[in-house]
Amino acid sequence: MERRSFLKGFGAAATCAALVPSIVNAADEAKKVAGPNEMSVESAIAAITGGKPVTPSAKVTLSAPEIAENGAVVPVKVSVESSMSANDYVKAIHVLAVKNNNSRCANVYLTPANGEATFATRIKLGATQDVLAIAEMSNGTFLSAKQNVKVTIGGCG
Amino acid sequence: MKTLVKIKPKDYKVGDIVKIDFMAMHPMESGMRKDKDTGQIVPAHYINEVNFLFNDKVLTKMVTWESLSVNPVLSISLKVSGAGTLKVLAKDNKGDSVETSAAITPKG
Amino acid sequence: MRKLSICAAFFSLALCGILNAEEAMSMNAADKAMYAEMLENNPADMDIAEGEELFNSLIGQETYAKVLGVSVKDLPETIAGFPRMLTAIPKYDFTFPKTMRKVVTLSQSLQMALAERDKKVFKLKDNEMIKMTAYVKSLANGLTTNIDVKANKQMEEMVVLGQHVFEERRGGRGLSCNSCHSADIVGSRLRMQVLPDLGAKETASAGTWPAYRMTQSAMVTFDKRMQQCMKNALLAELPLGSKEIVALEVYITNLSKGNAIQIPGLKR
Repeated sequence: MERRSFLKGFGAAATCAALVPSIVNAADEAKKVAGPNEMSVESAIAAITGGKPVTPSAKVTLSAPEIAENGAVVPVKVSVESSMSANDYVKAIHVLAVKNNNSRCANVYLTPANGEATFATRIKLGATQDVLAIAEMSNGTFLSAKQNVKVTIGGCG
Repeated sequence: MKTLVKIKPKDYKVGDIVKIDFMAMHPMESGMRKDKDTGQIVPAHYINEVNFLFNDKVLTKMVTWESLSVNPVLSISLKVSGAGTLKVLAKDNKGDSVETSAAITPKG
Repeated sequence: MRKLSICAAFFSLALCGILNAEEAMSMNAADKAMYAEMLENNPADMDIAEGEELFNSLIGQETYAKVLGVSVKDLPETIAGFPRMLTAIPKYDFTFPKTMRKVVTLSQSLQMALAERDKKVFKLKDNEMIKMTAYVKSLANGLTTNIDVKANKQMEEMVVLGQHVFEERRGGRGLSCNSCHSADIVGSRLRMQVLPDLGAKETASAGTWPAYRMTQSAMVTFDKRMQQCMKNALLAELPLGSKEIVALEVYITNLSKGNAIQIPGLKR
């Protein structure tokens, strides 16, 4: 009986190489292969703002899991406080994964007809990193929010 | 490309804000993944443009990248101004495109 | 023998220590809620829609009810009770090589219905079959799994065989399903993954397959999932449709009997 439970534990450990929880820090590895649309987060932000400042703001809410069991499907939700009226609305929501080879995920250009400035999707994260949301307001300012997502290695399959 | 548009909730009236969910069956290849059998890099293949139109007027335009998950889901809001048709036009980087429609039918 | 058990004790102590220290590495309630919300937009919804078209054009509810030996209105309740024993006619020889009565999975019952309509019988691994299975099982959404392992001699035998297969250690490393899913090890972790208790309500194992597996970006059936588990544990995969894998499905479905049916499921 005891031998059996020992073997059980040992076998499971041997099969999956490590029982110790580990956090993926594969950012450098991911950088080895240059993707066709490689772009750093700095360049991506510059392209969005044209060099204007980006201010972290409580008006932008970014929800993502603190821990993602699977980096291939990470839910992300963004909402921006705004009246969405013709002269005061959110022109765009940009979602960026700061360490992905191509940090750009989606640029979403809204109109007052949306009624609310919300956007939700699921993204791939190559490694533990910050997810950044930038809101472009109709008055020309840029607000942001970010959240760190830890990407973990799952168990067997 | 298989697609699906959902409007939530099912019952709404003029002035309500509804959620529009667009889903597509798409591999969203990053262009960085190696084929396990051939060892060759699988070329990038991803949805790069999604446009939402309400009664043929632009509601929301999206530029999307390979960082979206395989079989992506995109959700936005719509303030219901009246009855009409919501159209979603999705295109990928290989030129494949698909148009998906859903009726907006407010009650009262 | 003694050395081994001491070693095992140290091993598990060390393991517990690490796991407690890393408690914050598990998804918290808010994270889990975000993932649960994703069920609303399950990419497999598109597969279900296709499965519905396939089922209606190739089989239809009336033919299917006839094959199951029930009325159309009893279909959902009957579907919720799979795997179950069915009586065959010679047309279904492919799934009934020797006997006229056999315990079959939902997918196999659809193969029988295709044969009944003289349609091409898809293989269990075919996408058409997976989509139809998911659609048909979704007809029982809202009900609970109601497998009856005491219904007849065949079911009684299958649940005993299923437990045997579950516990039999195979492969180069001598692993069984029980190695990772026995009552005394569930809750521990394999890397970051909490080993699920297949009988627990929250695992909802049998009621939520076929499910969309995010790691594979595709919908997967319960038996296929078990094959994937075997492959990862370096065990020879039991063939789909074999008596052993059907028995395993009977056994695990019975462990979680009474769980809600919610198709398509969404899994990591």
